[in-house]
Amino acid sequence: MQIRPILSALRRHKAGTILIALQIALTLAIVCNALFIVHERVERVSRTTGMNESDVVAIQNRYVGTPASYVPLVKTDIQALRAMPGVEDAYATNAFPLRQGGWSTGVQLKPDGQKDGVQTALYFGDEHALKTLGVQLIAGRNFNAGEITPFNRDDRPAPPQVIVTKKLADKLFPNGDALGKTVYYSKGRPSTIVGIVAKLTVPWTEVDFPEMVTIMPLTFNSSYQIFLVRAKPGQQDAVFRSVAKTLYDVNRMRVLPEKYGVRTFEMVRSRAYEKDRGMAILMSVVCAVLLAITAAGIVGLSSFWVGQRRKQIGVRRALGARRSDILSYFMTENFLIALAGVVVGVVLAIGMSQWMFTHFEMQRLSFTYILVGVVALLALGQAAVFAPALKASKVSPVEATRSV
Amino acid sequence: MLKMTHLAKVYRTEVVETYALRDFNIDVKEGEFVAVTGPSGSGKTTFLTIAGLLETFTGGHYHLDGVEVSQLDDNARSRIRNEKIGFIFQAFNLIPDLNVFDNVEVPLRYRGMKAAERKQRIMDALERVGLASRAKHYPAELSGGQQQRVAIARALAGSPRLLLADEPTGNLDTQMARGVMELLEEIHREGATIVMVTHDPELAARAQRNVHVIDGQVVDLAEEPRFHAHAQAAHS
Repeated sequence: MQIRPILSALRRHKAGTILIALQIALTLAIVCNALFIVHERVERVSRTTGMNESDVVAIQNRYVGTPASYVPLVKTDIQALRAMPGVEDAYATNAFPLRQGGWSTGVQLKPDGQKDGVQTALYFGDEHALKTLGVQLIAGRNFNAGEITPFNRDDRPAPPQVIVTKKLADKLFPNGDALGKTVYYSKGRPSTIVGIVAKLTVPWTEVDFPEMVTIMPLTFNSSYQIFLVRAKPGQQDAVFRSVAKTLYDVNRMRVLPEKYGVRTFEMVRSRAYEKDRGMAILMSVVCAVLLAITAAGIVGLSSFWVGQRRKQIGVRRALGARRSDILSYFMTENFLIALAGVVVGVVLAIGMSQWMFTHFEMQRLSFTYILVGVVALLALGQAAVFAPALKASKVSPVEATRSV
Repeated sequence: MLKMTHLAKVYRTEVVETYALRDFNIDVKEGEFVAVTGPSGSGKTTFLTIAGLLETFTGGHYHLDGVEVSQLDDNARSRIRNEKIGFIFQAFNLIPDLNVFDNVEVPLRYRGMKAAERKQRIMDALERVGLASRAKHYPAELSGGQQQRVAIARALAGSPRLLLADEPTGNLDTQMARGVMELLEEIHREGATIVMVTHDPELAARAQRNVHVIDGQVVDLAEEPRFHAHAQAAHS
């Protein structure tokens, strides 16, 4: 190996060497963190909701006018939806997974109303909710029709019966005996856990209680209503196209917003993760551009150095260097510069991750990403320098005798 | 040691063929100090590049230390350059980024020699040219004469069978040139075979034998004294 003379030669070309090493370092730091963000976002986008998401249509409805109660209107609408051809089931609610808007509260084991409960999202529904959502009841029972009561905006939500997700049940009762237990959503008003579902996520995608959900047997007495409709297999498109007309036929005194009035669940999911997808694409593009710029920088500097050292290469060939020795000289030189770059880059990457952790509550960069980044940058350097190095290896030894 | 018979070197373009060497014959015995002289463009540098395996030739035969070199591949030619030939160039051709020690080390590294032996040889060679104390200096910190001495040390360090010198004093003033020439004579007295290309008749006169090249061919000076005088006049 010719590491020592290469290093001592590089000391005489400090500016170019340091610039390229710094470029590699910055690229590594940014690419590691960017790819980590991409990974996080992709992971988030691919999270499941616990629902059977296919064949579900979500409708956002606002009644116009001020009737004494909205509950009868809701009942009429729901009946009309369930009677639609191609519809399996339907119910009215206040929120659903990935909606990005909903309600949450603290649930406690004691009736005293202290604010030390477990955070949970609240979904209103009736005995058709579980079937429409397509969630799996793993313990207890569903609501029955007699348990469904109206809920007014000024009330505290505290029905006598609730269904919770397994995650919430286990958090409240780590021994696994949540079924039949009493919990409190409102001071002094007990609710009994009558059923537990396997999984259901909250409406938001960026919270630290993603699977803490309570389903309450309530009908929201409000002009704002959400209807979730499960179409029969293969009927989703037909239901999606005709559901607005069905509702308008029942009662024209309503607004179904043009953009988000009627959506399939794929549309809901796509909208919920729009920013994440955008961020993942942006970060990937940033990575690709940075890597390309770095590779171009290496090709540029190496080509310049090869051009500058043609005579020197000729001399080395005259003194007995084989083509492969010249090739390996330039590859090794680049490797040493890249190595210095990645060492600094690792420190920068960790520092950048720590900064983002402190300021943006992002996760700390995993070591795997640093390792992958290091290998990728070293490989990129070798790939980028190969063509100029190959060109160098083809310099004829007779170049040594040519005057500059 | 070095024997070329009917050697030819032709540079071809689409429209013209130029003979740099034509029916070139030379035989340098082991231990000889031969000066190859001739006017500019006569082909003496082409001869040296072919002799040093820096270039291939077009026709004829070239035996170096008993080996016919025309059929050798690039790696084999590199190995012979490294092991059997020491080069001394007019422009010294030291690597400016490396210090004196590292410059002398270059051919030894390509030979795959162990570090301890390399160090020994480098220091011996630098002692030999009187520059051991300058091992850590860079070429730019040395005078022209000192740089050429380093180049000689680099050529000597590998214990080559043949030293090829291309106008070794061409870039030096008279005093430094004299020093370098004395060094070459000393090396020759110790048994080295030296082929030196020069157009300086004074320098050539100090070699054991002169070979004159004109128009790519070796000319017998004894048979063409008038031509010899003319060639000398042209370069004096």
